[in-house]
Amino acid sequence: MSTTETNTTYAAEPPVRLEWARHAPEVYKAMVRLDSAARKGLDATLYELVKIRASQLNRCAFCLDMHTKDALAAGESVERIVQLGAWEESRHFYTEKELAAIELTEAVTVLTDGFVPDEVYERAAKRFEEPELAQLIAAIAVINAWNRFGVTCRMTPGHYTPGQRA
Amino acid sequence: MTARTTRLDAGVRGALRAVGAAAKKGLGDPGLAELVQIRASQLNHCAFCLDMHLAIAREDGVVREAQLDLLNAWEEAGDDVFDARERAALELTEAVTVLTDGFVPDEVYERAARHFDAARLAHLVALITVINSWNRLMVARRIPPGSTEW
Repeated sequence: MSTTETNTTYAAEPPVRLEWARHAPEVYKAMVRLDSAARKGLDATLYELVKIRASQLNRCAFCLDMHTKDALAAGESVERIVQLGAWEESRHFYTEKELAAIELTEAVTVLTDGFVPDEVYERAAKRFEEPELAQLIAAIAVINAWNRFGVTCRMTPGHYTPGQRA
Repeated sequence: MTARTTRLDAGVRGALRAVGAAAKKGLGDPGLAELVQIRASQLNHCAFCLDMHLAIAREDGVVREAQLDLLNAWEEAGDDVFDARERAALELTEAVTVLTDGFVPDEVYERAARHFDAARLAHLVALITVINSWNRLMVARRIPPGSTEW
């Protein structure tokens, strides 16, 4: 710890609300199967960007902890992770394909505001062939599911080690 | 309306079905399960899921017609229509569904925790999560209500 950090007192870590995986082990097992089914055929770098962006929108601290660490461990740059929160203004950090995926992620995540616009879907359809597009949509739905477990059960961020879930 | 992809990986479909089946079983209340799934589908505007779950609720007779009619305004419907336990579940459904507006408030979570023990609550959260996933898969791909190809 550096000298500037020595005197810093952080807020207390909030307790977990509900250890859902312990109380619903069958659900958890099926969720793990779902996750591996959804990532099949998707580029790993792109997948982490999608997971991070959805977790930002859903404000899932636990998922952000996990996926930023996994992305960094896989060689993703700090810059691209940081800029993801303002990707519309930092498009030149990403490929057109990544941008289409990020835009689709936002539309599918913020669903209560109303559907997935045609132009967003079509931009994604232009960059992703059919089987990959279906996997991308599945992957977005799945990270949204993990976000819901993480936020509702108030799973605690900060304890994840990259590769832990593999 | 322009058609979109109807593809969905069989492994994804099977695993999500398994999550749903486990969640429903652990909740142990088929009527409440349909109420929750219909309410989430209303919020997410999923025509396919609304069609499916309204049909299940009616065919199985697990939800009273008055509840289906008034679900979209459950807060204003009387206590004789929705009891305290159902209200707690619906309130939790809304908070977990509209996540981007900000977290799940303590009072909402605690009201649900008063009516459901830890195991049932975990399965209720799982069920809300699963229907949110189906809603996303169906709305994103614009699967029409009643479609058999999805």
